[in-house]
Amino acid sequence: MAKKQFMLLASLLLVLSVFLAACTGKDKDGATEKEPSKDPEKTEGTENEEDPEEVDDPNAGLEFPLTVSNTGTPIDGGELNYALVSDTPFEGTLSRVLYSGTPDSTVLSFFDENLFTTDGDFLITNDGAATYEVSDDKKSITIKIGDNVNWHDGEPVKASDLLYSYQLLGHPDYTGTRYTFMIENVEGMPAYHNGETTEISGIKISDDDKTITITYTEATPSLLSGIWAYPTPRHHVGDVMTGELTIEELAASDKIRTNPIGFGPYKIAKIVPGESVLYERNDDYWRGKPQLDSIVLKVVSSASILEALKKGDVDIASVPVDQYLNAKEVDNIELLAEVDIAYTYIGFKLGKWDADNKTNVTDPNAKMGNKLVRQAMWYAMDNETIGKELYHGLRFPATTLIVPVFSTFHDSSIETPSYDPEKAKALLDEAGYVDVDGDGFRENDKGEQFVLNFASMSGGETAEPIAQFYMQNWADVGIKVQLLEGRLHEFNSFYDRVEADDPDIDIYQGAWSVGSDPNPSGLYGKDAAFNYTRFTSDKNTELLDAISGEQSLDSEYRAGKFSEWQQLMVDEVPVAPTVFRYYLMGVNKRVTNYSIETGTDLRLWKWGVTE
Amino acid sequence: MLKFILRRTLLMIPQLILLSLVIFMLAKAMPGDAITGAFMGNPDATPEQIEKIREKFGLNDPWYVQYGRWLGKAVQGDFGMSYTHQQPVTTLIAGRVENTVLLSLFTAIMIYLIAIPLGIIAGRWTDSWADKLIVTYNYVAFATPTFVFALLMLFVFAFVLGWFPYTGSVDIKIESGTWAYMVSRAEHLVLPVMSGAIIGTVGTIQYLRNDIIDQKTKEYIKTARAKGVPEGRVYSRHILRNSLLPIAAFLGYEITGLIGGSVFIETIFSYQGLGQLFIQSINLRDFTVVTALVLISGTAVVVGTMLSDIILSLVDPRIRIE
Repeated sequence: MAKKQFMLLASLLLVLSVFLAACTGKDKDGATEKEPSKDPEKTEGTENEEDPEEVDDPNAGLEFPLTVSNTGTPIDGGELNYALVSDTPFEGTLSRVLYSGTPDSTVLSFFDENLFTTDGDFLITNDGAATYEVSDDKKSITIKIGDNVNWHDGEPVKASDLLYSYQLLGHPDYTGTRYTFMIENVEGMPAYHNGETTEISGIKISDDDKTITITYTEATPSLLSGIWAYPTPRHHVGDVMTGELTIEELAASDKIRTNPIGFGPYKIAKIVPGESVLYERNDDYWRGKPQLDSIVLKVVSSASILEALKKGDVDIASVPVDQYLNAKEVDNIELLAEVDIAYTYIGFKLGKWDADNKTNVTDPNAKMGNKLVRQAMWYAMDNETIGKELYHGLRFPATTLIVPVFSTFHDSSIETPSYDPEKAKALLDEAGYVDVDGDGFRENDKGEQFVLNFASMSGGETAEPIAQFYMQNWADVGIKVQLLEGRLHEFNSFYDRVEADDPDIDIYQGAWSVGSDPNPSGLYGKDAAFNYTRFTSDKNTELLDAISGEQSLDSEYRAGKFSEWQQLMVDEVPVAPTVFRYYLMGVNKRVTNYSIETGTDLRLWKWGVTE
Repeated sequence: MLKFILRRTLLMIPQLILLSLVIFMLAKAMPGDAITGAFMGNPDATPEQIEKIREKFGLNDPWYVQYGRWLGKAVQGDFGMSYTHQQPVTTLIAGRVENTVLLSLFTAIMIYLIAIPLGIIAGRWTDSWADKLIVTYNYVAFATPTFVFALLMLFVFAFVLGWFPYTGSVDIKIESGTWAYMVSRAEHLVLPVMSGAIIGTVGTIQYLRNDIIDQKTKEYIKTARAKGVPEGRVYSRHILRNSLLPIAAFLGYEITGLIGGSVFIETIFSYQGLGQLFIQSINLRDFTVVTALVLISGTAVVVGTMLSDIILSLVDPRIRIE
């Protein structure tokens, strides 16, 4: 009997210890979802610290450093460990023209550069590997590649290498995602793209193969932020133009996958496909001798990244936002953060995409057609609480549709709706949306039931609470909103239906990562397929044309038009921006000369370690 | 026997074609395609270009046209291009298969190394303290989710103790082909293998233990004991011979299950194999990869079943394959 009881106790203990250990492991490995409830006071305190003082001006909330505080002199040489935080291997298409995933672009960034460097507004400067001059009519740009700029195999970077990128991007067989407006706008590109000719008439190369002139069909201010300036080493990867190989073969080639070259500060010494890369210093780098001897990049899963940082095994890594609280406790690292060039928003369906004419058609009688209602819904959303409670302050209320990182174009003086349920109610009353049948929810101005279908994406543990929270917010002001089909929708099916203007969707939650060109035409233009709300207006078209037009080559004029457009979007509310977000980098304290500031001078070649 | 294998192999062909048809239909019924997500990060791409790419990959054709085209190429060994990886599917899978096979093979070996002795001990000395301990371990292992256990292993052995690496399949700085390279690969395998093996023993232990207990009471054992056969010999020559039968028969299926890879283990240890590729491809709607992988695991199931039948006929004289 006694023996039996002992066995029971022993087995119970065993079970318990496994569970306890499992919990520890989980917490340590970053599943922080339970953190707030465990120690509410501490969390509260943390939030107050992070609370942006003035939510209207996102820049005011910035209190993370952009540059590491270690200003020590780096040791000569040394090795830096960089973690590519990803739960999947990197695909390994190491070509700027052909790659598709973000992990690949990280791998590329260490050995391959843009010919131009950019400033804080993501505009190209004359400090890079090449210099440029724009013609008086602003229609063509002449790019001169520096004499000391060489590929890793010693060959000089030629103008025809840059031409090669254009030849690949515009090639009839090209299936990547980068045949964009700025490529299509090159004179003669459409004819080349359709296979009518093998020459791109708008691109001319000098006799010494160091200078290239690109002429555009229309002058555009996007030139200085959107020009393609990544050359492709024709001699190394092989020439598609001579029929030596096809684009498909090129993408699958070892010259791109295991043995690529660039002209960046470090060159690839070895690749273990999908999981790690060893870079060595490129002594022939055009800016001078890079600081480090070598860099090791390895893929680390988000589950182990914090422990890896803590162990000192990894020097630089992006930290998943949901591990922020745990990351703060790690002593040997410093957290840097910057506002990401992205925003989340609620979109209101206002029309249809006319596929035949490739244009957006706004329906004035759309269910969401009343702009007072849309404004009210913006006022009703408590984005600050979302940012604080679910993201520990790493997301904060968004203001206009131009992300604050574009300091010249983001207009922080525009007054945007912030959480104010009373104001929302007043707007709805004004719109004539009142509760007629006394069920606690408003009817529309004709006295009919007003129930909105809300499409939101699944993914991550915050997706559901956020959707429910907004629905509660709207219910508080009397608008009945229900989840489309009562559930969240998977990414592909969500965008398929939003894109197809599914009549069941009235409002949806989406996000855009906007890239380095602030021009919003691709997302909000009359002819933009990505303009999912299908909002158009004469004023909108006029302003977007002005932003893309020739006159906007004058930066001041352009900033003015940007302001007007941002104001228009706040007045008309085709979309209500919800939150801006920070991204976090964890950096070991031994790292010096490292910064995530846009347009910083502390570029990759200067990164060093002090011990 | 040869006739049997031949017949089963021939039967495999219509089975696989049927499987591929079903998979193709299901895959195409999913919303979205490989292009849907690809352009999200690049809103500047022109709609014409996106349409052109869809057209080029034949994504606008009805599914049966696409299926016919795919089948025509597949019989020639061409499974098409992966849109996400910009690589032929065969190359892509070939690159991952080695990792998966190594992981699976060693996991299977470890499972048997752990499970068979434990099963025998538990069965032979039923109700002893050792049996109770083993049964408890079995229940705990059964109840522990793979990802929790893998994280625990990762935390304890890779970070607290620092004995084993926590990511990848090999240390990049080691020259391939050398002895050190093999050692590094082995080191990288230990945690993923053990994470899978320690909690993967449940079925085998339980089967073996129950069967031994079952056999112990059989008439032929009583006869053997009555004839004075030593206890050790009773177990090794009489009971085990019979009790190991179902385990051996399972071997074929076991191999099948392992080819699929383990998504959790691969993800947690950043160990790239087929399981992860499969899930990723489904999420990104990279259909060519999905169909090829399903076909591979389909083939594995059919072959595994056949293997099980063959093994069974070899170890069990009562079963004859005509």
